[in-house]
Amino acid sequence: MQNTENPHTVEELENLAFELRSKLLHLCGTYEGAVHIGGDLSSADILTALFHHGLHVDPTDIANPTRDRFLLSKGHAAVCMYIAMSMRGFFSYDGIVDTYGQLDSAYGMHPCKVQLPGVEASTGSLGHGLPLAVGMALSARGRGESHRVVTLMGDGETGEGSVWEAAMAANSYELGNLVAFIDRNRQLMTSFDEERVFLEPYTDKWAAFGWNVVHIDGHDMGALVQAIDALPASDSRKPTVVVCETVKGKGVDFMERNLAWHAGSLGAADLDRAMAALQASREKESV
Amino acid sequence: MLSARSVIGTTLAELGEDYDNLWVLTPDIGATLVEFRDKYPERFVDVGLAEQACVGVAAGLAYDGNIPVVSGMLPFLSMRALEQVRSDVCYPNLPVKIIGTHGGLVGNGGSTHYAVEDLALMCALTNMTVTSIGDPLMVGEVIRQSMTMQGPIYIRLAVGKKDKVLYEPGEHEIRIGKGIIARQGTDATIFTHGTVVAQALDAAAELAKDGHSVRVVDMFTLKPIDEELIAQCAAETGGRFVIVEDHLAYGGLASRVADVVADRGIHLTAFERLGIPQVYAGFGEDEELRDKHGYGLAATIAATQRVIAAA
Repeated sequence: MQNTENPHTVEELENLAFELRSKLLHLCGTYEGAVHIGGDLSSADILTALFHHGLHVDPTDIANPTRDRFLLSKGHAAVCMYIAMSMRGFFSYDGIVDTYGQLDSAYGMHPCKVQLPGVEASTGSLGHGLPLAVGMALSARGRGESHRVVTLMGDGETGEGSVWEAAMAANSYELGNLVAFIDRNRQLMTSFDEERVFLEPYTDKWAAFGWNVVHIDGHDMGALVQAIDALPASDSRKPTVVVCETVKGKGVDFMERNLAWHAGSLGAADLDRAMAALQASREKESV
Repeated sequence: MLSARSVIGTTLAELGEDYDNLWVLTPDIGATLVEFRDKYPERFVDVGLAEQACVGVAAGLAYDGNIPVVSGMLPFLSMRALEQVRSDVCYPNLPVKIIGTHGGLVGNGGSTHYAVEDLALMCALTNMTVTSIGDPLMVGEVIRQSMTMQGPIYIRLAVGKKDKVLYEPGEHEIRIGKGIIARQGTDATIFTHGTVVAQALDAAAELAKDGHSVRVVDMFTLKPIDEELIAQCAAETGGRFVIVEDHLAYGGLASRVADVVADRGIHLTAFERLGIPQVYAGFGEDEELRDKHGYGLAATIAATQRVIAAA
């Protein structure tokens, strides 16, 4: 499960994540409608680690049967995935920014497999990615293929019953080739989840469902790389969940843990302010 | 006894040989699937009581080039998993087949266990082909034909206890999207589907004793509907239509036919629809419930007499 053609150091991956966030903000400042910027920013490091380090995929051969499959179960982070994929060479970033959300564009609020064949599935309604991933993992097992099926869910999304139905199925069918990353940003759209909906004890829940549980800081690129490198072999018998502790709005101080920035748009002034905040955050972290 | 339900299992077990990418999935409803399960355990998936995951897993398999068949009880597949059917299967137009029982007021399970809105729901879904079948031999044929279809299909059965073989093999051409003229006639047409076809044929035979020539159309494909046949029946049976179905009277076949009549400007002399009214139907045997809710044999005969008498 490695980007072997073009391996990156952790520092290079951190730079790519910064570039991804900058491009996200730029799109958010260009597009007039709302973008799910909060959950994009919390997923940015995970998606960078996956598309630039973890996933064995080839942008020039999107139907190769041996590729790892990646499903964005939290489909509202589509922009973050489109840009991460563009940086890996799947799409052109300009194509995304220039057409996003417009009539007949392939790039919209939630990914559509029909309009954008480079993505693995049409998602958007929450709680759908994990069952789809279970089907793809079963298919790989049935054909004796050794690729992995990887999905990224939001933690709020795991309130959906279908997630736990699929979690049970993955355990019953011993799908060690299935990996779920969870963006544990602890926010729903309208509340902080431990205030209204108690997900804790969260990692225990997954362990009780028979999953191999890894718990990391989802903004620590070194930890993400390590978690990916340490994944059990795809022919092992337990699915793995990587619970990534994250911050919604990560990298832009006025958006961080701020319910107002679940989704939003940036005017020109806001864009400058957000870019400055992103730069400041980077300098602070590199000290 | 040959039942539609038993044919599912034998047909799938047969097709499993020709199609090594055929998978069968079920949410804990599997008695009829044992033949497939025993022959191809590695392509049989029982997720337990989890209809949403079951349909989602099927879609995941289909994304990867497989042909998944989901078999279970339709009230749950069509409603509890409706969003998965719509967004995971129909939206990307995947070749998932949903085959199940308990279509209509059958099985005496009470209203939680009757699928009576399912055809309305399924017909509303873009890309979905919708069928309802009463003849066990037809079930096998439709499943076989569906194997080469690109998109999804919904195959509705009753429960199998009272299934009748209606047609001799080769008697009619069975083709998805084409209605079957189960009985010729010129005074009126009864359109129906599923196990109610047998009842409509009984009604036509009864009416023949009074000299009435009543056509019976088995409109086993509700979507896409056979528009040409509807136009042809209007022209050949005096524009006199009765629609009888084991489904809500509004939203099922009657509504499909009415849409065609309105859209094409077909002139009718009389139109009656018999089906389940907007009530939760309660317990009882199939025929008792049909009689109670106004779409049994006697009601069908009476409605047909009325449309024949209409000026």
